[in-house]
Amino acid sequence: MSARREDLGGAATLWGVGQWVDDRGERVAWEVGSDEINRAIGSAPARLAMLGVERGERVLFTSMLSEAAHFWPLVVGCMLAGAQLSCADATRGEALRVQMFIRLLSYRAAIGITGAVLDGFDDLGADYAAVFGEIPVIVARPDAYDRLVGAGLTPHAMALVGPALAIASEPGGPLWVDEHEWQLDAGTDGVVLVTNLRPTATRFERTRTALRGEVIDGHGIRFEPTTQSDGMNRDESPVHDAD
Amino acid sequence: MTGIPPRTAPYWDLEYETMPRDQLRELQFELLQEAIAFSYEHAPLTRETWDDAGIRPSDIRTWDDFTEKAPFIDKDALRHFRDDRGDPFGGVLCRDPAELTAINSTSGTTGDPTLVAEMWGGGFVGRPAIMYRDFWGMGVRPGDAVALFLFTFRGPTYGFVQQLGAVPLLFDYGVDEIERLLRSSLAYRPTALYNFGGTMINATAEIADRAGIDPRDAFASYHGIVFAGEPLGSRARRLADEWGLPLFEHSNVGDVTACFECTAHDGMHFWEDMAHVEGIDPVAGSHHDAQPVTGDRVRCELVATALTNRVAPLIRFRSDDLVEIDRSTCACGRTHARIWTIGRKGDELVVQGASVLPVDLWAAVEAIDACRLGLFQIVRPAREVDVLRLRVGYQDTPADRVEALRSDVAGAVFAAIGVEPVVELVPNEALLRLGPPHKIPRVTRS
Repeated sequence: MSARREDLGGAATLWGVGQWVDDRGERVAWEVGSDEINRAIGSAPARLAMLGVERGERVLFTSMLSEAAHFWPLVVGCMLAGAQLSCADATRGEALRVQMFIRLLSYRAAIGITGAVLDGFDDLGADYAAVFGEIPVIVARPDAYDRLVGAGLTPHAMALVGPALAIASEPGGPLWVDEHEWQLDAGTDGVVLVTNLRPTATRFERTRTALRGEVIDGHGIRFEPTTQSDGMNRDESPVHDAD
Repeated sequence: MTGIPPRTAPYWDLEYETMPRDQLRELQFELLQEAIAFSYEHAPLTRETWDDAGIRPSDIRTWDDFTEKAPFIDKDALRHFRDDRGDPFGGVLCRDPAELTAINSTSGTTGDPTLVAEMWGGGFVGRPAIMYRDFWGMGVRPGDAVALFLFTFRGPTYGFVQQLGAVPLLFDYGVDEIERLLRSSLAYRPTALYNFGGTMINATAEIADRAGIDPRDAFASYHGIVFAGEPLGSRARRLADEWGLPLFEHSNVGDVTACFECTAHDGMHFWEDMAHVEGIDPVAGSHHDAQPVTGDRVRCELVATALTNRVAPLIRFRSDDLVEIDRSTCACGRTHARIWTIGRKGDELVVQGASVLPVDLWAAVEAIDACRLGLFQIVRPAREVDVLRLRVGYQDTPADRVEALRSDVAGAVFAAIGVEPVVELVPNEALLRLGPPHKIPRVTRS
């Protein structure tokens, strides 16, 4: 069943309209309520603590604006935890910016590293282990995970499971979504299905996502290494117009 | 002001946006003295620069004192401080780094990105101004949808939309998001779009056609579509006119603040209760010999001072940007000055005594159909040269027509600036490989 809009009934306010990626790799408009974002923010510090992010630490996020509904809770979670953050797009062209941040500042975690960012490091002739070697926690998307492991690093895995964000609590371990918010099921063809457990502006009911893998205990996943969870073509870097 | 104004209010902040200039100048001077004292006390680069100049904040008692005595800083000074002292903030940070919420960065279009220190929910004195006043003025109201077509490196920009009581629609800055933008525009009827420049407008024609969407329908709900970074070419202008796009230009103001066009479309306002902006003679060596340029619409170099930033304020920051400034009251009723960006001083080429900037060539190059994407570079081995050398991108031209095309381009450029160029023609794809997609360095050493 595909996602459909809940009747907001005037009670909930929209935080924004982002996107999630379906099993065909298509981006689908995602109306996100303020209440559900606030719940995700509430649980974010604990998720970050799992990665060792605490007061005084610093986190580098690589993500896209269209993914803001997935990442904003973690960003605010950093603030709530007393940690600092930096932001870069998750594109090939942003590898230079990521490299600059890591050269100038120390980070506890780099969250959201994509294959496109790694492509950018390839363009720069930068060795992944040299770039990320001093960062204790690397959190990699499916298309970057194996490449980082191949470089001798020990990343945590993360993936966007439709509207849900799944992060591994340990390198090599399965990824977990917020069990209070999301139920995961395996489709007969290996596609991961997602259902919201609490009220959301957009209802998800066994909705097919772009992620394929094994579902564990209804809220964990081991993804297939070649899976694409975000449907993004990141060959292009953004145009930096405003500055 | 407190809270969101009535929907019918033409200004977000009537009192401040229309403040008489003599009052605005008084307010600015109060803020200026506070900003200088704060920066001198906390920012090592400011303190050293002022100490080297033999001046202290208490010496600034009048505007003339500031103009005559306050030393400039520039991007090189920040970079040298950063590299020599190991200070990633270039000596301008006024806070304990542990107090910061975020450390983001400038675009890096004109060199290394530089760090931007941020304290969310604090760090500024004064009233909400940038974006709030601008988007309200364009017609954004509570309950509207606002499409953001942006990158993330400056942090979560959607906050201002939510503070306006509107709902952000979130898109990545890229051609592959245009179809989704068009479809979402039909579904949500947004009233503003930020940021959608010439490359995206040009790309929209083909994408909309393929998707079976009439851009006039998709963009019909917009009161404001903001573009920035590069001039809008003639093709994009023509498409925008055809589709009825309500365009508003936007730019950076010396890394200190930002400026936006208003509904009068006669220059871009910057908010003078947030920044003090001066124009100086671009050839000035230092503050000692810098001649103020105070006439309206006279080309000058922009020098900016942050008045309300209490995190990492730049004091008398010499920007390298060539601009024109007009301080007369705008037709929109606002009293804050307006700016027109011309180019970067470091991009200026002097050919046999004549000044040439990329903006001077844009329309001439784009007017040639095979060069309609406006991809060109000025080859600038030195500031002063005898010959203007251009590298110009082209398309759709058979080999036996290339020589004639070269002649056409040279003729168009000569007609525009009175200088005969030497033109190297290269396929568009070759130029696009030199920079990030859709944007190339406009000036190159070789």
